[in-house]
Amino acid sequence: MNSLTTYLLIAAMLFTIGLFGVLRRRSLIAMLISIELMLNAASINFLAFTKFVSPDPATGQIYVLLIMGVAAAEVAIALAIIISLYRWLRTIDIERADRLRG
Amino acid sequence: MDPTTFKDYLFLIPLLPFAGAAINGILGRRLGLRAVHLIALGSVLGSFVLSVAGFLALVSIKSPEARRVVSVLYQWILIAGQTGSFHINVAFLLDPLSSVMCLVVTGVGFFIHVYSVGYMHGDPGRARYFAYLNLFTFSMLVLVLADNLLLMFVGWEGVGLCSYLLIGFWFSELDNARAGMKAFIANRVGDFGFFVGLMLLFWTLYVSSGQAVGSLSYGELKGAAPLLLDAEPILGLSVPTIICLALFMGATGKSAQIPLYVWLPDAMAGPTPVSALIHAATMVTAGVFMIVRLNFLYLLSPVALSVVATVGALTALYAASIAITQNDIKKVLAYSTISQLGYMFLGVGVSAFAAGIFHLVTHAFFKALLFLGAGSLIHAAHTNDIRKMGGLRAHMPATFFTFMVAFLAIAGIPPFAGFFSKDEILFSTFNAHLAAPGLGKLLWLVGLMGAGLTAFYMTRLVIVTFFGEFRGGESAEEKLHESPRTMTGPLVILAVLSAVGGFIGLPAVTHLPNLIGGFLEPVVALKGGAASHGSHSAALELGLMAVSVAAAAAGIYLGWYLYHKRPELPGALRERFKNLHAVVYNKYYVDEAYDRLFVRPVIAISRGTGRFDLGVIDWVVNALARATERISAGIGWEDLKVVDGLVNAIADAVKYWGYHTRRLTTGKVNHYLYSVVLGLFVLYLLVLIT
Amino acid sequence: MDLVQIARSNLEGFRYAGTEVALCVLIVALLLSGVILPFRKNRRLFLIISMLGLALAMTASLKQPGAGKGVRYFADLFLWDSFSVFFKLFFVAAAAFTILMAQMNREVEDYEFNECCLLVVSVTLGMVLLASSVDLLMIYLAFETMSLLSYLLVGIRFREARGGEAALKYVLYGAFTSGVMLFGFSLVYGLAGTTDIMEIGRILNSAHMAGQNRALFVLMVLFFLAGLLFKTASFPFHIWCPDVYEGAPTPVTAFLSVGPKAAGFAVFIRLFYTLFAREVGDQGFAAIEQVDWPAIVAVISAITMSLGNLSAIHQDNVKRLLAYSSIAHAGYLLMGIACLDKLGLEAVAFYLVVYLFMNLGAFAVVTAVNNGEGGEDIRFYRGLSARAPMACVAMAVFLFSLIGIPPFAGFVGKVFLFSAVILKKYYWLAIVAAINTVISLYYYVRLIKAMFIDQAEVSFEPRVSGVSYAVIGALALPTLVLGVYWQPLAAFIESIF
Repeated sequence: MNSLTTYLLIAAMLFTIGLFGVLRRRSLIAMLISIELMLNAASINFLAFTKFVSPDPATGQIYVLLIMGVAAAEVAIALAIIISLYRWLRTIDIERADRLRG
Repeated sequence: MDPTTFKDYLFLIPLLPFAGAAINGILGRRLGLRAVHLIALGSVLGSFVLSVAGFLALVSIKSPEARRVVSVLYQWILIAGQTGSFHINVAFLLDPLSSVMCLVVTGVGFFIHVYSVGYMHGDPGRARYFAYLNLFTFSMLVLVLADNLLLMFVGWEGVGLCSYLLIGFWFSELDNARAGMKAFIANRVGDFGFFVGLMLLFWTLYVSSGQAVGSLSYGELKGAAPLLLDAEPILGLSVPTIICLALFMGATGKSAQIPLYVWLPDAMAGPTPVSALIHAATMVTAGVFMIVRLNFLYLLSPVALSVVATVGALTALYAASIAITQNDIKKVLAYSTISQLGYMFLGVGVSAFAAGIFHLVTHAFFKALLFLGAGSLIHAAHTNDIRKMGGLRAHMPATFFTFMVAFLAIAGIPPFAGFFSKDEILFSTFNAHLAAPGLGKLLWLVGLMGAGLTAFYMTRLVIVTFFGEFRGGESAEEKLHESPRTMTGPLVILAVLSAVGGFIGLPAVTHLPNLIGGFLEPVVALKGGAASHGSHSAALELGLMAVSVAAAAAGIYLGWYLYHKRPELPGALRERFKNLHAVVYNKYYVDEAYDRLFVRPVIAISRGTGRFDLGVIDWVVNALARATERISAGIGWEDLKVVDGLVNAIADAVKYWGYHTRRLTTGKVNHYLYSVVLGLFVLYLLVLIT
Repeated sequence: MDLVQIARSNLEGFRYAGTEVALCVLIVALLLSGVILPFRKNRRLFLIISMLGLALAMTASLKQPGAGKGVRYFADLFLWDSFSVFFKLFFVAAAAFTILMAQMNREVEDYEFNECCLLVVSVTLGMVLLASSVDLLMIYLAFETMSLLSYLLVGIRFREARGGEAALKYVLYGAFTSGVMLFGFSLVYGLAGTTDIMEIGRILNSAHMAGQNRALFVLMVLFFLAGLLFKTASFPFHIWCPDVYEGAPTPVTAFLSVGPKAAGFAVFIRLFYTLFAREVGDQGFAAIEQVDWPAIVAVISAITMSLGNLSAIHQDNVKRLLAYSSIAHAGYLLMGIACLDKLGLEAVAFYLVVYLFMNLGAFAVVTAVNNGEGGEDIRFYRGLSARAPMACVAMAVFLFSLIGIPPFAGFVGKVFLFSAVILKKYYWLAIVAAINTVISLYYYVRLIKAMFIDQAEVSFEPRVSGVSYAVIGALALPTLVLGVYWQPLAAFIESIF
């Protein structure tokens, strides 16, 4: 089972879990974690393709390193926003953030 | 002036009013009253003088065919394609048609500007008013002088905008604002048609035929128009027919014809000089002008011409019937305008283009006069309601006499102006060969009935306002006075024009030259010459003339009998035919019908879509969940824990989601995130469909 | 390639990266001046620095590449061609107007202004990079640079609950969709084995790919669309837009509605016209066989504009109204992309320029009204023309242009779009768009009516400063001029594609 398909399946599962996580969880932190899962699924894809398909072995790895960087930045920014919002809401339950609507 | 020299000054005709509008609009508040008047009147007078000079320059050209002056200002649009380049210029064209229109717009416009000085006396917004009025004159002149359809469309939209601004001029009154809105929307509906026609014309000539038509200028269009006949018919209608009908839809909006006439009576909310200039003499005639300008196009489609003629004749009769029941003097005149515009469309519809323009000119004289006279009455009596007037003859002699001239002109009594033009239209209709046999005779009968009604409602108007006793109360009676000279002056001049204006278009039977017909001939040249002249016997022409004079006389007599001799009769009749009167008095409930049919459904739909997003998403989620449950039950996968968990998760999600959407809580992030997933589903469905 | 060669080629790249370098210098300058305590609240200083920097960036982007396919630089990650130059100019102009608007705006406090400028310039850097990237990796990084910083920009007023909530929604929605798009990127990479989009395009469009991997192609197109339609605020990924636009400070809203939206369209064109279509003949393109994406885009366009316009009808908050209006305009712009020929792309580019002026203009007036004791609700606009006549006239100009009434620029833009669609024989789309134009009339005119006709409900003194008038005037002028004299712009845009 050491083939490209295995990796791709794992990535697809990870992506789906992340997707459902974002949808199901009400905690902002858990939602952020789920989004990271989706990004990691893409990373796994890149690495698998680099190993099995690409003529240039470096591209996918560079890609993954940069995705990790971006993900970290994303989390930092999202957390900053969540904390500032927490001062108002006193909760991290996203249900409560619904002043803007219509 | 030498035509080639004049070419360089042509652009000044529209530019002067524009400059006036700009100065009064920007600096109006700081300039003194005198300066505002001087700029406003001076700019229009300047372009009137130039129009006269242009007219003389045209006449000085010996050969009628060569009477064309084109002045290109700059290149506006350039599209270089593979088959050829397409370019549209900002260019003005002075030919007999635009020259006549220029004279009417600037001439009548100038008198109305003068009248406005008196009428708007003491109004704080005068500078703004004159700026709008000048801007309107500019737009109308662009419309008239444009050398191509697109530039004409610019003017077309411009006059609409100014009309909207001027109707809502006294915007502190809610009804006025509503009226402005209504005018705007009715015109947009029409303009949509106009634009579709324009695009279709451009498309068939330039794109689909592969023929590189260089520009949309009239000269080139005229040459290329026969190509349209080769285009493949769409839905069984030939391409010229569709184009002409789409353009005519624009005309029904701008010129207040069935079915888009509803805005014009409401537009009377604006100041009376505006009603005279825009909603009687000039802007509303733009549709007629457009058809005459594109006569070569309309001649390609007998069907479209017949539609134009039928709509015109029906509008003429229909609007006249409403005018009988109205009590607001301006509303009566508004319906009268709609009716008279119907005659013009009837005229151009039966290919009597010169007659249409002739009626446009005479109508501009006598209807402007009627409106200005009405303004003078309103100024004195401080009401629009004719039931509160009466006996004004004694108090306002100048207004009375000029009004009587206009009355005789519109009623069609020879030798006043309206008689000649209306008669020429009716005569051409009688002899017309339209798409359906016998249609000409039928439309003639409709027109004749309309003429009788016109005489009747005008007689009613004159008798109720000028004769009998004043009914506005004693305190108001003491204040009655003749209007200032700036107002009566234009009345007298317009009265003279209404009296003698008809002689520029004498009927063939007199064997005297038909000046306007001859002048316009190079523009509206028909196959085999003007249809209404020469080919028919003088006896027929005289006979028809007698019939229409008799109809007018009958209308006047009936009006006089009912409202003067036996004034108690109208009330009794109204009692007797209560239902009929209610229907006509309420304008056949067309406004209400439009409200039910178009306005309310749109508002209802938009209310619904406020919640559309979430409502639809909710439904889709539920449907998906149900489907998933069924499928999983059918396959028997319930035993598999993972799948079970997933399905439960989805089901949970759906319940969770549904619970919240049922309370219609929006604005929640997690709902939005669901929408992403659903969006992907929607996209996937789209992939499957396409 | 040895190290010296790499270094040399990178140094050469700086010749083409003038805009990017200028923006980086500006960012550093703003950062440094912002931490010096005495200057911390000096609005004027930061304004001057930003304007100087942006002027520098503008001049740097003016250099035009000649004919041909342009120049690759920085290890072939970027392409210097007319397309990227056009969008660079566009983004820098949008940033300049935004900072001017923020300067006159009271929603952004003095101590936040430095950060505001900094973030706007940084987002602009992201957009500029995005416009010139031709590598999947670089596109992703630039896309995220733009997105992440715009999340912060929305939440700049973190002392206010609305701002925080808007930022939260934006970041969650954005991270989610860009995650989906990244997964799509990974699939493309797997299929083609390279990240250079020109190369990928060649492979995906090649003969031996034809008819194969349909499911994979469908997934790719879907995942790409998720990211791109989110950025352009189009159906079905538009829901975030009204909330975020309402919660953000008005200049930021204006910026988002023009900058990142246009960037979304730029990368949309770059990606879809390179990866999923190939040039056919002189003017046209042909889509890949596996997915008929132009038809999908056409349907999305129709739904987007209808949804945006219909939802706008009942909005009482002017910013929210303009948010739905911007959704509708995304729909109009998508029409051009669905055309699959150069005429459509030119129409999109032209409309974007027009949209820049008219939409920023409308928001500039909203900003001006927001100052003083005014607010975003429509009742503050009732009878405003008596107190701020020039601002109201300008607003009317912008709104008429947004409707598409001649002689304003919006009309010309719409004519270009409509003619492209009609020439492509998408008659139904043209009809839907025409109906939408009529619907949009309702809510725009409602606002105009409120300003000019209604009685004043709230009496407050709008404080419209001289700078505000200058900005509004500077935006109104092109809106008017492009309505009658657009030839030079049209000619310039024609040279892009």
